[in-house]
Amino acid sequence: MTARRSLNVKVAVSVLVAFAASMAFSWFLHNSLSERDAYALIDRTFANARAELTDCINERLVVQCMEARERLEDGHPDDTASLQALARELRVSEVSIVDDKGDIVRSSVPGYLAGPGRKAFNFAAADDKDANKMMGLIDGRYTEYCQPYRSNAANGNWRKFVGVWRREGGFFEIGLDGKALQSLARSTCVDRFRNWRVGGSGGIVVTTPTGLVLSDYEEPNREGTQFHEPGGSFYWKRGDIETFPVYVMIPKMSAAVQRDVLVGATALLNGAALVFVALLVGFVIAAFVRRQIREQEAKELAMAKDIQLSALPNVFPPFPDETRFDIMASMATAKEVGGDFYDFYFTAQGRVLVIVADVSGKGVPAAMFMMHAKTLIKSAAQTGKPLAQVFTEANEALCEGNSSCTFVTAWAGEFNVNTGHLTFVNAGHNPPVVRRGSHCEYLKTRPSPALGAMEGVTYRVDDITLEPGDAIYLYTDGIVEQPDPSGELYGEDRLLGLLSRNVRQRGEILKTVLADVHRHAAGAEQADDCTQLVLRYRGEPDVVEHEYAPTLEGVAKAVDDLTAALEPVPERVRAQLLVAADEIFANIVHYSGATRWSLSVEHDHHPDGVRLVITDDGKPFDPLAQRDPDTTLAAEDRAAGGLGIFIVKKTMSPVTYKRRNGLNILKMGRDYGDQD
Amino acid sequence: MEIKTKSEGSTLTISVSGRVDTVTAPELEAGLKFGDAKCVVLDIAEVPYMSSAGLRLLLTSHKAMLAKGGEFKIVNVQPSVSEVLSITGFADILNIA
Repeated sequence: MTARRSLNVKVAVSVLVAFAASMAFSWFLHNSLSERDAYALIDRTFANARAELTDCINERLVVQCMEARERLEDGHPDDTASLQALARELRVSEVSIVDDKGDIVRSSVPGYLAGPGRKAFNFAAADDKDANKMMGLIDGRYTEYCQPYRSNAANGNWRKFVGVWRREGGFFEIGLDGKALQSLARSTCVDRFRNWRVGGSGGIVVTTPTGLVLSDYEEPNREGTQFHEPGGSFYWKRGDIETFPVYVMIPKMSAAVQRDVLVGATALLNGAALVFVALLVGFVIAAFVRRQIREQEAKELAMAKDIQLSALPNVFPPFPDETRFDIMASMATAKEVGGDFYDFYFTAQGRVLVIVADVSGKGVPAAMFMMHAKTLIKSAAQTGKPLAQVFTEANEALCEGNSSCTFVTAWAGEFNVNTGHLTFVNAGHNPPVVRRGSHCEYLKTRPSPALGAMEGVTYRVDDITLEPGDAIYLYTDGIVEQPDPSGELYGEDRLLGLLSRNVRQRGEILKTVLADVHRHAAGAEQADDCTQLVLRYRGEPDVVEHEYAPTLEGVAKAVDDLTAALEPVPERVRAQLLVAADEIFANIVHYSGATRWSLSVEHDHHPDGVRLVITDDGKPFDPLAQRDPDTTLAAEDRAAGGLGIFIVKKTMSPVTYKRRNGLNILKMGRDYGDQD
Repeated sequence: MEIKTKSEGSTLTISVSGRVDTVTAPELEAGLKFGDAKCVVLDIAEVPYMSSAGLRLLLTSHKAMLAKGGEFKIVNVQPSVSEVLSITGFADILNIA
């Protein structure tokens, strides 16, 4: 459970981390996009501002220059001093007149003019492209021309020159130094950016070179105050346009709106998708985990079932050399692990305890209780205590600390294998069926309480004596309480009827009963564990055992003995047994190299049968391992060998072979109950 | 074991009495002399059972008579012998009346 919860937490945390990472990525992406957009906008705006401001200034200066031309054409004197006066009047720094060859012929600046040892400044000859362009005013390419504010080709001073054409050829020119340019532009041009808006709430600030604000876009504006460069909360750029520092700036908040809207919308959409996917994944994981748990539980139940089954004796016949009785038991478990068990073991010399029990409830708890009960009873019984005491003590132990009130019904019998005397105790269990000869009946006695149900119970025993050939059949309620599809239980009557009709069956009766119970269920699932045990008392067998010489004489003697011993056996069966025995005898005397061999004959009753045990000390030979001859060949192709063993295998059942203590031991038997 | 033979023309009838097994087979083998009989009839009415030692003799006799163009017939087979013959497939290859 803890592992599952921590798995859930891990999944949730990693999903959230992934979500946050994707949102952060989205935010950075949009952030860098919006920054790039902002700077692109700033660059565009700056270019516009430069064009706007330059155009405005140029226009203004052309007007000034034309004013100068008008004044001079109207007769204003053009000596240096007069031109200086005109420049002052027009608030420009210089005024010059250029002739049609490009020479400055009149100027407010004497240094431009021809003098002793010096030619006049000539625009065509100047080593300056901007200056050369002024020649366009002479050759008629333009009527007016404005140079950018720049270091002057004539004397290196910073000036902005503007020229307009002159009717007599050449042109008039005015020049402005920085101060003049600013004072002129300040009053007419810089304030046109005041209403420009950049990227929503950004704008343009123009200052003097010393940083006093000339034009501001904010209300209230900062004009006339010292401007401080914007900090990190703006995207901005500074550039100089015609001597004016110009700032284009966009508050990051404003640029970020788009980004934030985008990221927010993405987050919302992704969040919704995430929740959906999380629900879906959660669903799938939950289904998967549920299946895992179901499989795990099924595996554990199967293991519990295995453990339970392997705790029961499951090798049959359990006592192969035992001739006085035999036991067969089986447990067919239902789908769910239950608490049935059977058990049998020697408790003392010549005494065997058989028990069949059923723990109340189902599942692993019942299975554990069953193991506990089984062990308790076995360990008490094997100390040799009387059966009643074994149960009384087991009951006390099972009652102790039994808070779940689990109990176990059990029927146990202690059987004297020499006399057939059976002492038994019934702790609330179904009555067994006793077969005497070919008559079956329930062995009903007053039951004692189930084990573990009530403290302080003293268990009583009853007893019966079985005759050779008699049997007792124990079972649990899974047999009699199996319902058919209409709900009708299999029941005691059906069970007794089935057993009565099949009195000649031995161990296979258990399969017969189970098959009949399943037939009754008619396809329905087996409702409960079906546990059965049959104990058959055979008594002391009539054994004839002789040893013979490994010669034909020995065989002849054995055949005589066997013929005599088989006197009570029906003729046909007797012939089969004699033939089968002869085949084995022939192998011993012809091929085995045995020095001695023996034959024993055991008769069985209810059902009737004969068992032959043939032992020899020859070389190991397992007749059952031999290949069968091909009985379909034509006479010419048939060989006479190998037939004997084949006949044995075909007519005898069961046939077993064992090699033990240097002896070949072959057992073969034949039931003939159905041939009476 | 008792073996009686009776010859009528080219037909030789051999009557066997007693079990045929490992012990008695050599005795029967010795008694199965056909001479120049064209047809041999083996009467086993008195044979209560027969093991594979006897089957071997039946097969060799059958093959021997076939080889010289004669006939080997088995008559009066008891149920227990018949069972062994059919288990081994001999019932199909021998000439059994």
